[in-house]
Amino acid sequence: MVGTAPLVVADLVKHYLKPSGEKFVAVNGISFSVAPGECFGLLGPNGAGKSTTIDCITGFYPLTSGEVLVDGINIHKDPKLGRQHLGICAQDDTLDSDFDLMDQMTRYATFFRIPVKDSRERAKMLLKKFGLDDKAKELISSLSGGMRRRLQVARALMTQPKVLVLDEPTTGLDPDARRVLWDVLREERERGTAILLSTHYMDEAERLCDRIGMLHQGKLLDIASPAKLIQKYVPEPVVEEEVRPGVVWKRVANLEDVFLKLTGNRLGGVGVVR
Amino acid sequence: MSMGETAWGIRCVWMRYFDVFRKNILYAVVVTFTEPILYLIAFGYGLGQMIGKVTLAGGYVVTYRQFIYAGIVAQAVLFQGFFDAAYGSFIRMYYQKIFKLMASTPITMSEVLWGELLWDASKATFSASVVLLIGTLSKDFSPAGALCAVPVCFVGALLFSGFGLLTSSLAQTIEQINYPQYLIIFPMFLFCGVYFPLEQLPKVAVVIAWVLPLTSLVSLVRSLTLQLPIDVKAVPILAAWLVFFIWISRRTMTRRLIK
Repeated sequence: MVGTAPLVVADLVKHYLKPSGEKFVAVNGISFSVAPGECFGLLGPNGAGKSTTIDCITGFYPLTSGEVLVDGINIHKDPKLGRQHLGICAQDDTLDSDFDLMDQMTRYATFFRIPVKDSRERAKMLLKKFGLDDKAKELISSLSGGMRRRLQVARALMTQPKVLVLDEPTTGLDPDARRVLWDVLREERERGTAILLSTHYMDEAERLCDRIGMLHQGKLLDIASPAKLIQKYVPEPVVEEEVRPGVVWKRVANLEDVFLKLTGNRLGGVGVVR
Repeated sequence: MSMGETAWGIRCVWMRYFDVFRKNILYAVVVTFTEPILYLIAFGYGLGQMIGKVTLAGGYVVTYRQFIYAGIVAQAVLFQGFFDAAYGSFIRMYYQKIFKLMASTPITMSEVLWGELLWDASKATFSASVVLLIGTLSKDFSPAGALCAVPVCFVGALLFSGFGLLTSSLAQTIEQINYPQYLIIFPMFLFCGVYFPLEQLPKVAVVIAWVLPLTSLVSLVRSLTLQLPIDVKAVPILAAWLVFFIWISRRTMTRRLIK
């Protein structure tokens, strides 16, 4: 499966120099692949190396060593061809504030050599799907934070990519908008799109991802389905958590418990898990 | 990667900037053309009436209006090239994140940087061309000379846009762009022969002025538009600065953007 998967990441290593001149190992030899129609979640605390991994996968950063294949194309050797199959929703807001929503979508498609006349219908369809059609002729400055995020995901879908890379796509979205995005992702999976999803919402990862890679300090600690990860790292089926002084909740173990266990609950945050 | 594909990527970037310019044409015209036109009126007609004639090196006598018009062409190249590239690219890169957007598509970062440089230089050349046109219509410039000055202005615009991109790539905050602005751009604008013949300055200052790229640009534009003999040393000086700024700005920009 690995050889033919739309996205293959093999022994990816990324070092860079910090402004202080100190060498920093951001990603330390990670490997995984994403099959057609699969949603692979990349989870990890802030600074774990998720965004650097994604910037390496998209060919934006060169690799220290390793290889990234998008639809069999080495993205660092042939970024133009490799990125032709990639749809990217970056963590940063990269919407173009000089253009209206429709122009934004069709212009993005022209970067993939799709003429405006051929992309207009798809742009209309996607704007409608994401509930942005009534804003099509407005500048993005008129959009709320959630709308901007939805637009950025919609734009990544303009080219019907074989690999969709979503870096925290639902940050700032209300529950309704999150569900719209989840529906769209389900459709994309049915179409055979391989999805790489980075998120801090554990419920979202548990719901959407077939497999999850737990990234910590640049290393993949484990890769498995959400259910298997929970079974492996939180054997107790019911977890007790003190949510407020004197208030203890009993709940089913979830991915957040796995996350905290694997990444060490570094900040010693909310709740005492028993 | 073929040359054709690279050219296509650069064209996409250039067209994105051109479309923004076209969409905001009124604002673009006011910003791009007003400044040099105001200088032309104030110094050409205002000061020009007072000063009358100017004698240049080699004994050539021209009116002050002819003298200053040629200087203002070069000044338009300097200001538009540097400021658009420095402030414009800083905003596009860090606030709008346009560079990252384009470089996450089949357009590469190298093409984004070429497109940015060429656009900034094109805009500065548009601005200088308006001054050349006005000088030609007012019969202060030779039409053929003014036409020949356009590609020279473009070379100067690439150079100063490269300087602007270098500044933007090194600045940690937008305010830091003021350093080269006050320490290099304004002294060049005042002491490189735009407003008075260099010969008025002490010899050491003349040598220093000739090291700076604006002097060569002013000299070439003035020689072409007023049909005077060309000071040949201006050509290698301009070429050397052009290569240096393009090379260094691409290097520092890439280092800044790509870990």
